[in-house]
Amino acid sequence: MNNDSIIVSNLTKKFTFQVKNKASGWLKNLFFPEKKEIVAVNNISFSVKSGERIAFIGPNGAGKSTTIKMLTGILFPTSGKINILGLDPTKDRKKLAYQIGTVFGQRSQLFPNLPLTDSLEFFGVMYDLSDSDIKKRIAELIKLFDLGSFIDQPVRKLSLGQRMRAEVAASLIHKPKIILLDEPTIGLDVVAKKSLRDLLLKINREENTTIFLTSHDVGDVEFLCERTIVINHGVVIKDLPTEELSTTFVNEKYIDLIPENIFNSFPELPEGIRYSLKDKDKIIVVVNIKKINIQESLRKLLNIFEVEDIDVYNVDLETVIRNIYERN
Amino acid sequence: MKKELKFALYAIKKNIQSSAELRTSFLMNIVGMAINNIAFIIIWMFLIKSVGVIGGWTAMDIVGLQGFIALSYGTILSTANGLRKIADYTASGALDRFMLSPKNLLIRIATSSFGVSAIGDVVFGIVCMVIYSFAISASISQIFLVLLLLIISTITFLSMIILIYSTSFFFTDANTVTSGIFELFFTPALFHGGAFQGVMRFVFTFFIPSLLIGTLPVEIVRNISLDKLLLLIILTIFWFIFSIFIFNRAVRRYESSNFMTFGN
Repeated sequence: MNNDSIIVSNLTKKFTFQVKNKASGWLKNLFFPEKKEIVAVNNISFSVKSGERIAFIGPNGAGKSTTIKMLTGILFPTSGKINILGLDPTKDRKKLAYQIGTVFGQRSQLFPNLPLTDSLEFFGVMYDLSDSDIKKRIAELIKLFDLGSFIDQPVRKLSLGQRMRAEVAASLIHKPKIILLDEPTIGLDVVAKKSLRDLLLKINREENTTIFLTSHDVGDVEFLCERTIVINHGVVIKDLPTEELSTTFVNEKYIDLIPENIFNSFPELPEGIRYSLKDKDKIIVVVNIKKINIQESLRKLLNIFEVEDIDVYNVDLETVIRNIYERN
Repeated sequence: MKKELKFALYAIKKNIQSSAELRTSFLMNIVGMAINNIAFIIIWMFLIKSVGVIGGWTAMDIVGLQGFIALSYGTILSTANGLRKIADYTASGALDRFMLSPKNLLIRIATSSFGVSAIGDVVFGIVCMVIYSFAISASISQIFLVLLLLIISTITFLSMIILIYSTSFFFTDANTVTSGIFELFFTPALFHGGAFQGVMRFVFTFFIPSLLIGTLPVEIVRNISLDKLLLLIILTIFWFIFSIFIFNRAVRRYESSNFMTFGN
């Protein structure tokens, strides 16, 4: 039996748009505009097993959202094939909608003026659930997502973190087999992010829901996803277990050093630490934590430099992706 | 289909509830539109008193015309106001959430918004039709004819709204374009029916069906013209099928976008 819930084969999406030809007059540009074509997704193929947690990452404009929109039937592919749970999103969009849940971080699907419970009920009716099933499922979701304290508040009065929990809850009302999330933690504070990640992990474990997620947040990828697909310029450039991707950026930590006055010299650093930026007002060093741990590196750095402030942080995902991309 | 209609009615109910949450704005919109329409018809009455009957059209015909138009306009743009937002939905990418729905896309879009001010048109339309029916001493058969014509007029108006706003998928600045096309269709519908003769009548019956939603229904009631009724039914069926066809073709051009949006 085929255990794949998503199979994408040679998927391509091209967009065309009009461009102004500066060499031509405005009349020619008005009636005979030149057209330019961009390839947003270029011949990508991958498959996702049932119950898997996939991060689909890449820099802005890489083709992540376009791919997710083709998977859900919002956009029609220029070429290639998509099979989700045996359905073709271009032909079976309505049938597919019963099987999948979607969350777009920057877009709400709830009624802003009505209490949250009304929106949940609305989605229950939309998915043809009976009245008793709707009540039962809402009660389950209230418990699972801890919505009880704000279930009767109008959605417009919820905090962003509460709203995102509500969005995910609404997308799960019909117990979808796959949930596709596009930047679900965008704009959330660290507490709300953690809460949302915990919930997603919980529904994956308890209901075996396949999770397909795009995010710019390293934490989402590290905490939630067992496998990561990296896309750039519309092409899949890496498809690997997240652990392997993690080693790329967990091996290195960045440390910002702010001087008490100014840095006058830049002496040689201990083994495992190298300069990333040498400036009178700021030094950035990169620590290879396989060679030297953070505590030891901080102690050694403080012996060398007189500093007013220190900041330790991971390399951002964009850099990781850029490194991977540059290597490929 | 039963499930689709049940959901459509439920969505309309939720939209009314959502709009009614903002009570002051809700009531102001309805009352404001009703006053606006009353002012409009008073101007027509004064005009007709001054110039007399034109092309066989009396003051009561104008009341009937306004009734047909206000009722078709009010019914569609209250319950199916989402259609008028297609241009915004396509520009902002908000159409995504309707495409993710397991329901019929057109019905889902149509019932995504409730046009509160159009309730004022419905109220005004009912008042006009009651006055009109009394003024022409309508028989039982004429009353049934009026009701049938109201349904036909509403379907034609719905078809034109679908058709006009489906053009949003073809243009970047769709709001301006759709507003322009809507005015081209709707403004002549409000004109004195007697003013349309010859080529003008032909154009605004067969190419731009403005006369189908008010002028022809009034003339059919006045003259009990079965030929015109048959023509009206055929044209209504044509425009309805054509508008659905164009919508289904147009929606394939949707390219989505990533603007932030809120609400249902």
